[in-house]
Amino acid sequence: MPIMDIWIMASFTSPERIGINPQSTLWLIPLVAAIAIVYKATKLPTITLGNFIKETMALFGSTVAFMVITTLVLYVLAWIIAI
Amino acid sequence: MGQQLKENRILFFMVVALLAWCLPGAGHFLLNEKKRSIIIFVTIVLTFGAGIYIGSIGVIEPVGAKPWYIAQIMNSPMVSVLGYATAGGSYPVYGRPGEIGQIYTSISGLLNLLCIVNAVYLANLSRAKVAGG
Repeated sequence: MPIMDIWIMASFTSPERIGINPQSTLWLIPLVAAIAIVYKATKLPTITLGNFIKETMALFGSTVAFMVITTLVLYVLAWIIAI
Repeated sequence: MGQQLKENRILFFMVVALLAWCLPGAGHFLLNEKKRSIIIFVTIVLTFGAGIYIGSIGVIEPVGAKPWYIAQIMNSPMVSVLGYATAGGSYPVYGRPGEIGQIYTSISGLLNLLCIVNAVYLANLSRAKVAGG
């Protein structure tokens, strides 16, 4: 088996190194993008490139914005409770 | 006649649902929704692939994480082959990569479930149009 094939297969049998830090929460962004793409692919009556990208970006942006607002509210709440 | 038509409809819906489950996007492809099927296939396969790349194939755990496994198997029945391979616990999975991998693979499975339901809904609509409804 060529070395490249072995390397590709091996990368699926051991986990990547991701630390437990605030940056690791950024892994939600590709997931939100996938959800927005599939949701819009099922909901739009007709799919044209421009319209699909526009609708998907709107859903992606509003989801991320809502999560950021929720994070800030919870952070402020935790700060108020802590003082 | 009406009974036979009804049975054929149910059979058609079952074929659409089964195809959509076996291969993400295949249900829409059968309904001539080629753009939708390509978008669904690429997105779901990439999300699932990213999940098993980040957390290793050990994130598919039919014994220790049954609720996650039920969501993961919605990707395709082929996931059960991976589940069979990992059932012995021979692939390491731990910490944050394990969590992220499990979430990615499960969410892609639930997205495919949404696509299965949508494909059957579209099949129902197209049948209704053919029947003049």
